[in-house]
Parts: sequence; structure tokens; C-alpha cells
Amino acid sequence: MLNLALDIVTTAGILFVVASGLLIILGVMKLINFAHGAFLTIGGYAAVMGTGWGLSPWIAPLLALGFGAVVGLVIERLIVRPLYDRPLDAILATWGLGIVIVQLITLYFGREVQFAASPIRGTISMGPIDYSAYRLVVTGVAVGVGLALAALLYFTRFGLNARAVIMNETLARGLGIDSTRVRALTFGLGAGLACAAGALITPLLSVDPNMGLPWLVNSFMLVLVAGASFPGLAIAALLLGGAQVVVSTFFSPIIGGLTIVVLAAAILRISPKGLSLG
Amino acid sequence: MLGIRIASTVAVAGLLAGTALAEEPIKIGIPVGLSGANSVVAPSVVQSAELAAAEINAEGGILGRPVELIVADDGSGAQGAQRAFENLIFQQEVDALISMETSAARNAGLPIVNRGQVPYIYTSFYEGRSCSPWMYVNAWVPEQQVGPIVDHFMEEYGAQTFFLIGSDYAFGRGMLEFTREYVEANGGEVLGEQYLPMDGSDWTAIISMLRSAAPDALITSTAGGSPNVTLTRQLRAAGVDIPYGNLAVDEGTARTMREDAAGMYIAASYLTSIDREENRAFLEAMEEKFGADLKTPNDLSVPQYEAIYLYKLAVEKAGTTDAQPVIDALAEVSFEGPRGTIQMNAQRHTPLTMYLGKVEDDGEVTVISSFEDVDPGDQCPQFAN
Repeated sequence: MLNLALDIVTTAGILFVVASGLLIILGVMKLINFAHGAFLTIGGYAAVMGTGWGLSPWIAPLLALGFGAVVGLVIERLIVRPLYDRPLDAILATWGLGIVIVQLITLYFGREVQFAASPIRGTISMGPIDYSAYRLVVTGVAVGVGLALAALLYFTRFGLNARAVIMNETLARGLGIDSTRVRALTFGLGAGLACAAGALITPLLSVDPNMGLPWLVNSFMLVLVAGASFPGLAIAALLLGGAQVVVSTFFSPIIGGLTIVVLAAAILRISPKGLSLG
Repeated sequence: MLGIRIASTVAVAGLLAGTALAEEPIKIGIPVGLSGANSVVAPSVVQSAELAAAEINAEGGILGRPVELIVADDGSGAQGAQRAFENLIFQQEVDALISMETSAARNAGLPIVNRGQVPYIYTSFYEGRSCSPWMYVNAWVPEQQVGPIVDHFMEEYGAQTFFLIGSDYAFGRGMLEFTREYVEANGGEVLGEQYLPMDGSDWTAIISMLRSAAPDALITSTAGGSPNVTLTRQLRAAGVDIPYGNLAVDEGTARTMREDAAGMYIAASYLTSIDREENRAFLEAMEEKFGADLKTPNDLSVPQYEAIYLYKLAVEKAGTTDAQPVIDALAEVSFEGPRGTIQMNAQRHTPLTMYLGKVEDDGEVTVISSFEDVDPGDQCPQFAN
């Protein structure tokens, strides 16, 4: 029972971390970033290279965060910004961008599976059971990321501006908020978060050019259900991730793999705005 | 994107032999997964085929004719294989097909082989019982691979209860279903058998089931590459340290996994450390031909090398490249290759010496024991040989 609860909470934590970069871009920019999976992959390779240089595996996600943010800012300037008035084209552009990034990675690193060192190994004793230490670490990081993002949105000038842009971009601009700058910083932050998440989950995964793809699909579903709010994302991750674990455990892991997609479709059918109340 | 890429390779080394030049080349088609799931291993398979062709041409070819390899990408799947086989058999008019492929690609290609009536040597280990009048197989089937690992766990660790984990596809399920039968026939018990889709990477629930079942030993058969690695890493992160047999890992992957793979058992018909004169010569020749570009030879690329020699011997025995005489001769010839003496004389399959290896802490695989001439069992009873 405790094991099941831990499986649910840690799965939700991983999903939350992975989807948060996608959510912040969708929230502020009204843009589904289909290059999200490719950013996760970049993060994975950043961890491989970082630990390959002998850096501590604990630093890898921070390295990926910085690298991803820079890459995100450049991409926003060159590709996304010229398409602000054509939202559908912008979404297509991110999709194409994702394909280009994956192909560049394949050209440079090859298709082989790569490895990043794991910062901690083995298990931690949790009363009656031993549980994977790294999954607990990731869950802790997820809580930290959630709190940090909340603080950023509610206690900083950038957050205030971002919330204004989310609510009514035209009005925000009328009040003198530089919405172009807000968008650029948001895309950089979203890309950085995605890369950091990619680096964070590599100790549980293999790094290969397509590692981001299955995560993109699940993140997309979670973000649609969450309806552009971080508390919503946390609830969606617990609900859908929990359902996946329960179905996998008591029914079949193969059906479990479909749970998030099917459940998300059902929720959106009943409530088109997802879980958000606004 | 799935278009067939045809790369024609006339192995140049042999063209010195004057007579070989003048003759019409013998064309060998190699449909192989240069893109898709097999793309990691396919280059090593093409390399070993190129070495075999170059060596044969340097010795004057087959019946005085040079060998020409025609490599076609099958995309590792059924659709690509249909196009590749159609093209090779009916447009390129190859004399034979020799290839390592996914089971999906082989199953899609076989009807076309039957229609075109071309000798086909399949060089990949697979789940067994695929039969065609035109096909021979020189790699292992579950009957040959599973036994050594299960026997070792029962004898060495006294294992009685087993847990099986795999990827949900023909090879994964075929291997584990055979494993279940083998364990139960030998007095053991299978506590659980669980699968994840091929692209699945979250093994959380299955690992929790494994832990609560508390078996003596674990045997896995996932798709190669990524699923294998994610499962192993998550097992290690969950502190699973029971004897662990992996039916789907190759030496190269084990080496890159390093300490995560430590202690894992693998059974194969080829390991680079096999102590045979033919193996050392083969590795040296590969090193010399490909240098820095060399892909590590493995349990899929070495059978490809041997199969090209087996085809050469069969054509020479038959005295022609005509399909039926060559098919008859293929069961009768034998070749001393890196893996041992290879003769495809067991219902179109091949008795093989199997090696049980254990991955050490540094990722190197050491041979624990070998099993001489393991029989593939009843694969295609309709064919006497």
C-alpha cells in the first residue's frame, strides 16, 4: 500500500517536472511548443556531456537549465517571434524545429544509447519498505520547482507582468508592459525548464535522440487538462499519473501506458477547459 | 522518408583476379534496418558482410564470378521490408538474400521470397518456428538461448521462482513464453510475466510487482537499445539485486551501461572474447579493413559474415546459382567461422555452441561456460534437413 502510494506520488512528481516547461510557454504565449520533446532530449545530452567532463551529476540539471535558457532565447528571437501573428504557423514551426534538433543530435552523437552517471544509487528505507532514492529526489525537486515557479509568478515583477499578459495581452501592452520581452523570457524559461527536466530524468532512462517523444505526448495531455495553471498541473499529474500507476499495477502495464491519453480525452470531453476553474 | 536507399557495393579488393572481372557478378541482396529500431546494429552487419565479400573476391570470387552486395534499407519494419524485398528480387534480380532483420520485416518479406523463389539466409536470432522452403537460419532460437541461463540460475543460486519482464512484441513474448515453459518443465515456478509497449520507458508498476512477488531470479527480454537500458537502470535504482538474466542485451550495450549492467547474465552464440583462431583472425581483419570506423562485431553481425561463406560453399557444391540446387546444398555445407563449425542441418536451423557470459563491474563480458552444439529443437518439422 505504501509502495503504491509512493509509486503514485513519485510518478506525479516526474510528470510535473517534465510538463512544467510546456505549461509556462502555453500559459503566457498561448503557444503549444512541440519542440518540448526535443528540449528534453537536449537536456539528456547535456547531462551526458556534463558528467562526461567529470562534473558532479547533481550539477547536470542546472547546467542544462542554463544551456536550455540560452538556446530558448535564441530560438524565440529567430523562429518564434516572427510568427507571433500567425499562431498556427508558430505551432508548426516548433514541430519542425523539434525534428531539426533531433536530427542534429543524431548527426553529432549517432543513434546509439548514451549514459549519464546517476547522482545517487540504490534505495532509502521508508519504514517497512525500501524505495528508489532517486525517484524520491526527483519528487522533492518537483515540489521545489513548483514552489519556485509560484514565487516567480506571484512575488516578482516578471511574474506580475507575465500574469498581466496571460489575462489580457492587449491591455497589458496598453499599460506599458513590454509583452515581447515577457514572451522572450518565458520561452527561454520554458526551454530551460524542459532541458533541466531532461537532465533530471536521465538517471532513470537511457539517452537517445528520441527519448523526448513519449514524454511530449504525456506532457501535452497533462497541460491541456491542467488548463494553464501550476496548481492545475500538480492535480493533473497526481490524477492522471496516479491512474496510470493503478491501472498498470492492478490491470495491465500495457493498458496503463494508454491511461493518461484516454483519461485526458475523457476529461476534456466533459470539461473543455480542463481542471482550471477560471 | 521510408524510400528505399540502395547502396551498391562492389567489393574492390578481389578485382585483381583477372577472370573474376570478366564474369557477371553474383548479386547478394542485403535488406537490413539502416533506419528505425535496427539502425544501431545494422552498420555492423553491413561491415561484416563487406569483409566477407572482399575476402571472397580476393580469392577469386564464387565459381570465378565476383560477389556484389546490394544493401537496401527495410526501415526495420513490414512496409519498408516489402519494398526492399520486391526491389531486390524483381528489379535487381539478386541471386540470394542474406540478412539480419526484425521479425516484422522477415514476416513481411517471406511471401515475396516464396513468390520470387530466391534462397534466403536469415542471420538474426529470433523467436523461432518461421519456415519457408526458401529460407535457412544460422542464428539461435529460444530453445538454444534460454536453457543455459535458467540452468545456471537453478544450479548456481538454487533459484526456484522466476519473474519475467519483456517488451510487448513478437520476440519479447516469444522468448518469455518459451522461458516460462522451460522453467516449469524443470520444476521451477514463474511468479509473474509482465510486458510494456515497445516504446514504454516507465517500468515503475512492473518493478513494484516484481518486488512484492520476491522471486529468486529475474529474466528479461525487451526490445534492444532504449527499453533494455531504461529497465535495467530503474531496476538498479529500485535496489533489485537478484540474479538477472537478460535475453536481449548485446555486448556493446552492456559495456556502455557499465556498473548498471554489472552482474547481469547473457547467453549468446558469439562474444568477442571467444578463444578461437578463426575469431581472432576475423577480428583482426575487421580492424584492418575498417580501422576507426569499425562497429564492434556482435551476435548479429558475425552470423551475417558466416552466412555469406555458407552461400559461397553451397553454390560451389551445387556448381550453379540456380535456386533449388543451392537450397539443397545449403544444408550440406559447413563453415569454420568465428562462432565455431556452422552447418544449417537441423530443420533449416543450426546447432550452435552457446556461451554464458557475465557482465563484470567495468562492463566487460567474461565467458562463464560454454555449451557445445546446442540443438535448436523442432523448428520446421516439414523439412527433413
